Amino acid sequence: MRKEGKGLVVALGLVALMAAGCAKEEVVKKDEPVVPQQTVKQQEPAKPVEPAKVEPAKTEATQEGATAKASAANALETVYFDFDKSDLRQDARDALAKNAEALLKQLANDKVKIEGNCDERGSDEYNLALGDRRAKSAAKYLETLGVKADRITTISYGKEKPAVQGHDEAAWAKNRRDDFVIVK
Amino acid sequence: MRFLPRLALLLLLCCSLATVACADGVVEVTAPGNRLLKLAVVPAQPQGATVQPDLANEMADAQVFDLNMSGLFAAERRDAAPLPQGLGLSVIDYIPWLTAGYDLLIRGEYELRGDELTVEFRLFDVLNKKQLLVKRYLGKRSDLRRFSHAFSDEVLGVMAGAKGAFTSRVVYVSSQTGHKEIYIMDWDGFNTRQITRNNTITISPDVSPDGREIIFTSYKRGNPDLYKRALSSSVEVPISTRRGLNITGAWSPDGSKIALSLSKDGNTEIYTINRDGSAPNRLTVSHSANVSPSWSPDGSKIAFVSDRLGRPQIFIMDADGGNVRRLTTNGSYNVNPSWSPKGDKIAYARMMGGFQIFTINTDGSDDTQLTSEGSNERPRWSPDGRLIVFSSQRNGGQAIYVMRADGSGQTKVSHTGGQNIHPVWTPRWE
Repeated sequence: MRKEGKGLVVALGLVALMAAGCAKEEVVKKDEPVVPQQTVKQQEPAKPVEPAKVEPAKTEATQEGATAKASAANALETVYFDFDKSDLRQDARDALAKNAEALLKQLANDKVKIEGNCDERGSDEYNLALGDRRAKSAAKYLETLGVKADRITTISYGKEKPAVQGHDEAAWAKNRRDDFVIVK
Repeated sequence: MRFLPRLALLLLLCCSLATVACADGVVEVTAPGNRLLKLAVVPAQPQGATVQPDLANEMADAQVFDLNMSGLFAAERRDAAPLPQGLGLSVIDYIPWLTAGYDLLIRGEYELRGDELTVEFRLFDVLNKKQLLVKRYLGKRSDLRRFSHAFSDEVLGVMAGAKGAFTSRVVYVSSQTGHKEIYIMDWDGFNTRQITRNNTITISPDVSPDGREIIFTSYKRGNPDLYKRALSSSVEVPISTRRGLNITGAWSPDGSKIALSLSKDGNTEIYTINRDGSAPNRLTVSHSANVSPSWSPDGSKIAFVSDRLGRPQIFIMDADGGNVRRLTTNGSYNVNPSWSPKGDKIAYARMMGGFQIFTINTDGSDDTQLTSEGSNERPRWSPDGRLIVFSSQRNGGQAIYVMRADGSGQTKVSHTGGQNIHPVWTPRWE
């Protein structure tokens, strides 16, 4: 009985994984309409960090209006990735553009640490390298946007620091990310 | 009392038996057909004043577990009345065991004086009515499981031509405290001890070939750095703190070098460093991630994971970085290579929903799936190549499991809570 249940879970996991592969495009596309900058600029108030990490859509909508430096630091946007990928999606580039602007204006005297993270599915050791690559691809993009390389450090946590618990694509999508932390 | 005077005689016996074993290689005891050899383990009889049946039973149970996991025996504990003449068997004493269908018999004696434990084990060939092995162990009461495992190692030496590795221990990572820390346990999960107390992420241990030191990656100073520490000490020496990743350290078979992955030059590439961390030598050159090096037993080659063709696959290169070739061609995501002690196979994990463990010949042939229940990662061969330890998510937890090299006998061995991952064997206790 128990065994069968387990088998079912495994089978479902398999199906979920396959589905994830197919659904990926869809997920990305769903995210995209939220991203464009015009939409972002219309929506104002600063929100605390917590939802910023959990709810990418809301974060993206809130950041621009923040004026205080602290808010700017808090509102550096998390960047998200596809499974086993470290290249930057359009929504990631948009978020990085906003982060670069904050780092060049309100946070011009601060340094930033980019923390690369992965979802729980991959091998933990390989994911350390993947997280490293994710952090570095964001770092490179910030540099091309004018943030000096000596203000940026990177670290990978692989799948050791999930932002949200959960074992479905919704959770995984939120865990495949770069967090941006201001370091003094 | 009559125990000690016999010591000289027994030592003599051990020597002569060793000679026989050397001359003959493997003792010929063959069960009819292909059935397993039926082996009875009689709990050791007490000598002297202290009688502790629990102690004798624990030793017998440890041997039963070892020998069943070897895959050569159907072993079970059998109580039997002591014989008047001690451990030796006269011809007539074999008869009840023969009629009960046993091929082999282990008997023993123990003497406990305070904390001092002396144990003698003997192995008998019931079919041919002869004694095959005698071993005597002196130590502390806390050594009793080790004595049992040591005799199991010897039994395999006599019966199969190569000693077992039941005196090996398993170093692994557990998140029991809420942080990933390194632990050590006997191979069968007993005598668990926490080694590191870094209160941060501490992962990927590897044991030096002499069994005295471990290396591991820890975030204790904020960066994933490589540390070295003696198992007998609490001093952790940072040996690679280069910018970026210092991960998946693997000791070379001769102990002189460590292969590891560093991201200091951009990509995560495999390097070797000296055991003190000096003289980094880059082996891989690619625009991809290269991790998890595993040395061939002769130290001439290294298997590793690379995603240079897209998804992670297992590759083999010479130990100087030359002659890179792809090993795994089935499956789209293969990781965690572990080279067998004989050098003929590589165990690895493939993502197929969760992970499953496979073995493959080093020429790419005979790609064989060993696990199918739950999700199973990080296989590592026992020093004798008979067993594989791995991390398994099944039945609602993530624990350390052991199985035979053919995938049979999958058994949970770890007792710590939380996630239990990254197991690796120590060398056997000699």
